[in-house]
Amino acid sequence: MKLKIGVLTLLSLLTIGMVVMAAQPIQLTFWGGWTGPDGDVMRGLVDEYNSTHPDVHITFTTMQWTPLFTKFMTSAAVGNPPDILGMHGPDIPQFAALNLLTPLGNVISNAGFTATQFATTAWNGTFYNGIQYAFPLDLHMNAIYYNKALFEKAGITPPTGWISGQQFLDMAIKLTLDKNGKNPNDPGFDPNDIVQYGFGLYSLNWHAFLQWYELLAQQGYGFLNQQNTKVDYPSDAGLKAWQWLQDLVFKYHVSPVGATNPLNDFLIGKTAMLEDGPWEIPACQAQKGLEWGTFPVPQVFGQKAVWGSGHVLTIPVQNDKAKMQAAEDFVIWLIKNSSKWALSGNIPAFNTAREYAYSLPGRTGFLEGAPYEVMLSRIPNEAEVFSAASVSPIVVAGQDIMVRDQSILPVMKWMNNQIDQILSRGQ
Amino acid sequence: MKKNLRILIIPYLFLIPYLFAFIAFRFGPSIAGFFVSLTRWNIVGTPKFIGFSNYIELFNDPSFITSLINTLYFMALTVPALIVLGLLIALLVDQNLKGRTVTRTFVFMPYVIMSTVVGVIWMWIFDTHFGILNYYLSFLGIKPIAWLSSVNWAMPAVAITTIWWTVGFNMILFLAGLQDIPEELKEAARIDGASNWQIFWNVIFPLLRPTTVVVLMLTLINSFEVFDQVYVMTGGGPSMATLTVIQYMYFQAFQYFRLGYGSAVAYVVFAFLIILVLVERQLLKKVGES
Repeated sequence: MKLKIGVLTLLSLLTIGMVVMAAQPIQLTFWGGWTGPDGDVMRGLVDEYNSTHPDVHITFTTMQWTPLFTKFMTSAAVGNPPDILGMHGPDIPQFAALNLLTPLGNVISNAGFTATQFATTAWNGTFYNGIQYAFPLDLHMNAIYYNKALFEKAGITPPTGWISGQQFLDMAIKLTLDKNGKNPNDPGFDPNDIVQYGFGLYSLNWHAFLQWYELLAQQGYGFLNQQNTKVDYPSDAGLKAWQWLQDLVFKYHVSPVGATNPLNDFLIGKTAMLEDGPWEIPACQAQKGLEWGTFPVPQVFGQKAVWGSGHVLTIPVQNDKAKMQAAEDFVIWLIKNSSKWALSGNIPAFNTAREYAYSLPGRTGFLEGAPYEVMLSRIPNEAEVFSAASVSPIVVAGQDIMVRDQSILPVMKWMNNQIDQILSRGQ
Repeated sequence: MKKNLRILIIPYLFLIPYLFAFIAFRFGPSIAGFFVSLTRWNIVGTPKFIGFSNYIELFNDPSFITSLINTLYFMALTVPALIVLGLLIALLVDQNLKGRTVTRTFVFMPYVIMSTVVGVIWMWIFDTHFGILNYYLSFLGIKPIAWLSSVNWAMPAVAITTIWWTVGFNMILFLAGLQDIPEELKEAARIDGASNWQIFWNVIFPLLRPTTVVVLMLTLINSFEVFDQVYVMTGGGPSMATLTVIQYMYFQAFQYFRLGYGSAVAYVVFAFLIILVLVERQLLKKVGES
């Protein structure tokens, strides 16, 4: 009798336990490097999914991209990666080459997605060695932010589309003022006492290289060879691109030397224009009294091109099939509902979602630039070749040319050699 | 006998929780780090043993040499200033003057601010074109200085920030040392007709020597391990002018995922710190003898 009661109790407890377990939502982890207002937008989307899908609960974690990837590598090494991981298209090869990402081609096609439904650059940015490893989420590229009040004061009508390098330079000169109100072309202009600069650009961090990279692309060249094994571009084209940037600072005096915070200089009206990405849109919107807009980067050379990248959503390799399925369902939902992601400043990659971005203020420059976006080469040791660290050859070269006014050719040659050495070492 | 054994063992039982944490999080990883420094490893996968190749590459790596020289330069800029200023301020606020408590608080206050906040504040102050420091200097007819974007000025700017931030800590240590010196000794010297300088040099300074050695060693080690303020203010630039050893280690290990190489940098830093500690021991020995 006692035995029977015991067995019955045990069975009852097991049944209750299984029912309770079955009623528990699947717990997923989602990591991304959106640490600014973009993180709030993503959190809003995750919350919406959690509230409409009671069988799944997603915990969203943000931290800066570099520590995030370190955390991902260590967690993957011990078999405990996140269920969903955000990254940039060019980041894919370094993780795919280590077999840390799940190939998603079948999942994406089974969900009914095709290449024609996405911005081409974003779609292409999800492949490595012919295998698709990610869902394309968005595009983000450089554009020119401008201060409407300063333009009006200088009597300049802001462009709405692409303009030439010369037109851009003319505007920048008009918008640069010394303490006596003189422009760089005026006699008696004092370059040592400028109170307002026409154009703010990043010369201390890796964005100097990115601006150069897009100018190289405007001449029809990439940075590396087809096999991505060596630096390969005509030095004449490289020289012209750096020369344009260097002259803005040292010849025309329309950009400050070594600005430590170009965004803040723009926000407080010390510079009239700024080349930067759409992630600064929330900061511009938050700045009281600032009337701003955007237009595409100038076309300095033969063809239109702008540096850009794109966020993608990956599913790291793991053994729990139920979790993988739930993660895929979430990402498919997120892509289909990514119109709200435009509020973060990024331009959604999914065509129907991108339409919403057209209705938002300040997106002109990015939307006009999107079809001409060029991404960095896709290589497994991207973290070292295209590093933003101060020790990175591309950063040092940018600083030598743009801040120290050094002779371009020797610096470029040094940068090329350094990058070749890194490429030859492999991942 | 049994009781004696218990007395012998019990203190060590109390130490077990700490020893466990020490071995798990300090000693163990340190030993493992040495073996990692002999490998090529990117966190994922199996480390590949390559002997001392990382160390050989390190001493042929111009960026590492630059980072080492920069670190020594930073130490040269900050350590003497932090010792001398710390001592001078401590001597000042040790006097029975009005407002000394407020002065102590103001000097120490920056030390409790987070390093990142300190870095951001000073980035604004040092801004070449719109910073407050250059604005004031302009009244003296000094043209704008590119504090953080000039190869010559970036490290002094970081050093100034560090001095402002940490001098309060040294002041507190010196102050504690000064307050340990019996007032009677100074009084006796004064009665014997010693001047203030003679009292300082012949009475205060010798008695303050143990404190000075401790402050010196702490300042040397902290300066050698400089990271936060450089990371925030300059990132190590421009053109690697402020790149320090710890920063270089961080880049190699956690940005480039070259764990073996990064560990080799760590062990070289460790060797330097061991040398500093040995020097400290010698100094302390001399102080004891004197």
